Amino acid sequence: MIGELYRQRALIWAFANRDFSTRYRASVLGWAWSLLQPLATLLVYAAVFSLVFRIQAPPLGSDPDRTSFAAFLFTGMVTFNLFSGLLMLSMTQLKSNGELLRKVHFPAWTPILGASVVQLVQVALELVVLVAMFLWLGNIGISWLLAIPILLATAMFGQGVGLMLSVVNARYGDVQYIVQVILQALYFLTPILYPLSLVEGTADWLATIVKANPLTWFVEAMHQVMYSLTSPQWWVIPGLLAFGLAVFWAGFTIFNRSSEDIGEFL
Amino acid sequence: MTNDFAVELDNVGKRFLRHADRRSTLKERIVRGRARNTQDFWAVRNVNVEIPKGSVYGLIGHNGSGKSTLLKLITGIYRPTEGSITTDGRVAALIELGAGFHPDMTGRENIRLNGSILGLSKVEIESAMETIIDFSGLREFIDDPVKHYSSGMYVRLGFSVAVHMKPDVLLVDEVLAVGDEEFQRKCFDHLYTLRREGRTIVVVSHGLGQLEGLCDEVAWLDHGTVQEIGPATEVIGSYLQRVNTEEAKANAEVASDRDDTTMRAGSGAIRSMEARLLDGQGDPLNHSETGATFGIEVTVRCHEEVLGPNVRFAFQHETGPLVTMMSNHRQGVDFGHIEGERTIAAFLTDNPLLPGRYRVHIDIFDHTGSVLIDNWDDALEFTVRSPRGEIGQGFVELPYTYEIK
Repeated sequence: MIGELYRQRALIWAFANRDFSTRYRASVLGWAWSLLQPLATLLVYAAVFSLVFRIQAPPLGSDPDRTSFAAFLFTGMVTFNLFSGLLMLSMTQLKSNGELLRKVHFPAWTPILGASVVQLVQVALELVVLVAMFLWLGNIGISWLLAIPILLATAMFGQGVGLMLSVVNARYGDVQYIVQVILQALYFLTPILYPLSLVEGTADWLATIVKANPLTWFVEAMHQVMYSLTSPQWWVIPGLLAFGLAVFWAGFTIFNRSSEDIGEFL
Repeated sequence: MTNDFAVELDNVGKRFLRHADRRSTLKERIVRGRARNTQDFWAVRNVNVEIPKGSVYGLIGHNGSGKSTLLKLITGIYRPTEGSITTDGRVAALIELGAGFHPDMTGRENIRLNGSILGLSKVEIESAMETIIDFSGLREFIDDPVKHYSSGMYVRLGFSVAVHMKPDVLLVDEVLAVGDEEFQRKCFDHLYTLRREGRTIVVVSHGLGQLEGLCDEVAWLDHGTVQEIGPATEVIGSYLQRVNTEEAKANAEVASDRDDTTMRAGSGAIRSMEARLLDGQGDPLNHSETGATFGIEVTVRCHEEVLGPNVRFAFQHETGPLVTMMSNHRQGVDFGHIEGERTIAAFLTDNPLLPGRYRVHIDIFDHTGSVLIDNWDDALEFTVRSPRGEIGQGFVELPYTYEIK
């Protein structure tokens, strides 16, 4: 798998280049849009959930007497968006490159990964904002470094699921709409808008669902290293990495096996 | 496989589900279950073809005979349902030119992208860049977004990229009919260059004259199976014979329609009924050869007595241009008064036409040359072959002599 990825790096890069240079070509603000959109969401959610619903964020790692709901929320949002962005984008790539795949034979996953590279740039921009936010709050710690493997695992997870679903979506066009609904539900079943402790006080079944949601694991780990400045237990990060890698490998393998004659279905 | 073949198709078959029976939404899939297999059809089946390295191989057949499916199988876009396909070396397809172009990107950016998709490395692309731009003739516009290109420019760029990726096997599907005269000629010249370099070319085309000149071997497909494989001239000959007999059959059915020539322009005092190709002795002929005298004969029916009509035969080359027009008035031949059913023949001495397909249009004017009596387009279509097997450049061979001093 790694060898194949490496061999096709030029093609992945070529697609990334195409998507990169055409993504916001016709808009005035260009790449600023990729930040304005999540920031607007952040503002609305932060206002509604902290002021109307009065949800309390846990104490900041640097100062147990202070909290910042916006920083807590944005940490979770960035992590979730990394997953869902890669997933949704990957899922629609086969269709949007259908014209090409029907006429030229080349590895069908290359445009998908190319698009993902561009998506990762957007996530990187969001991360810069997140880091700036924490710097401004003075909430800085060495545990930040652990965010790198966590985000890597999140990306592999999202990419793996995206690869699997892209083939299904190429054949049955309504999959992407179903997935959209599921992602929306997952957003609220992940402790992004509320701390995990808040769910534990509610119905048992709800707490079980939230804890069984793999995204909870990733978001919680990010909360710990970025917001609370603590390291998770030693097995958490290797576990997440192994999980992400397994899903990615499975996605890649399934994709390769079922996409050989994809040109006929597009 | 032995290394003599660039492409080997071994008992290849490809089955498709009919589109109407495809489950395209989950709901349909769930509600109606798996597709019944009764609607399958085989686009190609039992195809055994061996394409020698360094040869030019033609695929002919009527529309829907499976030619393009076969090309897509060779490129790997389709997987064979049964049988196996072996290819040796890099395969590039000129199936849809410019398929990978992004309208918002410039010509240069698209060359890079298309090159990568076709399997070229970055270094290879950059080193071929200037040649590609020169070949396309689009240097002036190469840094403009391709959405501002005309469709012709689009195709030129696509062709230029594809042929410069140095494929071992180049698949060409009917794309030679694009671009202006000059570019088409350039494409053909380039195909000949590739051929000289020992690359393998597989061509699908309806331009039988072109194929005859270009191909070493031809496979004739009919309803997805191979009818005949062999030297280009032979296979194209038997294909044309089949087409002609089928057309004759069809023509016999519509003969009464043709008899009712009311659809034709002209006064109708004379109607051309049937046209034939003759050899120098006046015997019927299937095709004509460069250098050999042949004739065109037309049977006309006069509905009234007509004085000294001008019966003209116009020869049109398959690519469109009018090559020549034969006219008895210009020859100073007066038919006098004619009536009833007559046959009129014109002989072309030492046929100067070069190999290709030609169509004959017949029109008849009155003795003044100003009143149209009958006009029959596409009265006849025939092939000119070269006895020496080569193809000429152009349409006619004129008498000439060489001198060296």
